[in-house]
Amino acid sequence: MTHFEDLYNRYAPQIFRVCLGYTNDADQAKDLVQETFISVWKNLDGFRNQAQVSTWIFRIATNHCLRAIEVAKRMPAAELPFDIAETVEESPEEKLAFLYRCIAELEETERIIISLELEGLPQAQIAEVVGLSSGNVRVKVHRVKEKLAQKFKAYGQFR
Amino acid sequence: MDNLDDLKAIWHTAKTDALPSSQEMLQMIRKFRGQKLRNKWLMIISSLSLSAFLVSALFTGHTEYISTYIGGLLMALSGVLIAATNARSLKRFYRLDDCSNLDFVAFIEITRQNQVYYYKKTMVVIVVLCLVGWMLYMYEPLVKHWLWMGGVYSAFLVYMAIMWFVVRPRSFKKDQDKLNTMRQRLENISNQLK
Repeated sequence: MTHFEDLYNRYAPQIFRVCLGYTNDADQAKDLVQETFISVWKNLDGFRNQAQVSTWIFRIATNHCLRAIEVAKRMPAAELPFDIAETVEESPEEKLAFLYRCIAELEETERIIISLELEGLPQAQIAEVVGLSSGNVRVKVHRVKEKLAQKFKAYGQFR
Repeated sequence: MDNLDDLKAIWHTAKTDALPSSQEMLQMIRKFRGQKLRNKWLMIISSLSLSAFLVSALFTGHTEYISTYIGGLLMALSGVLIAATNARSLKRFYRLDDCSNLDFVAFIEITRQNQVYYYKKTMVVIVVLCLVGWMLYMYEPLVKHWLWMGGVYSAFLVYMAIMWFVVRPRSFKKDQDKLNTMRQRLENISNQLK
């Protein structure tokens, strides 16, 4: 049981940020963290160290994200309003909120890939989590980064 | 601000101190497991017990008609089918989540197809077995006590007709809408991973 607690203490904050990146909703992200660690607890005995434990946990978390239909329903169908630059200040909280809003406009898998990238996972590990080749992940990260940069420029944020 | 390191710096400012402690999480997990699995286990145990009871009643009771035996066995069989279907679903619940997003989307699609199969095939077989079994099983008491058993027999048939022709199509349509939404979403995510 100590092992579980170690894993929870180490990975829960990371998983929370990734889920928050996917959902843009703190309560929903907390629920997904809970579901993730229920799965971890359930399967910990069967985990045979074939993959890194972090890869295993991030796979579980991102699969729970993909399964969450309620999240899909709440995602914005339209782009951010163009006058947002006039209303957003540059405090750290609002920079973070703006980053989440930009990520929320991306497609599901792009949200997962950029969240893992921002969390600091190596691209080879992201590839293992998502199920794509490393080269494919590199291309996707580059594209998502471009998209985010465009959004930041379009809304005139944080210059 | 298009620098990835800047974005990472912003990303890591997210506050995570509202998360439950590991002890609180363990308490939640124990509670969740109890609730989620209880119904499935109850269904498996009760349907198997009922089947066992039916079979033992057949061979220890004083039945004269062959229709009673056939009916009892058919109902017991439907109970075993219910238990098997729930056990399969329980196995899926315990299944290791250790697969990539790409594999997971494929796995969810198979689960969705299994659900459709259950509605269209398994459920029909269970209900038909149970209904035909009940009608055959009750034929003996109907013949012996036709006056009041006739009422029970007819009322049950009317109830089953309403469930089958009114309630089931409505519930099926509602679930099918959900499954179609799920299918569209999975297709969309699969396309993103190509």
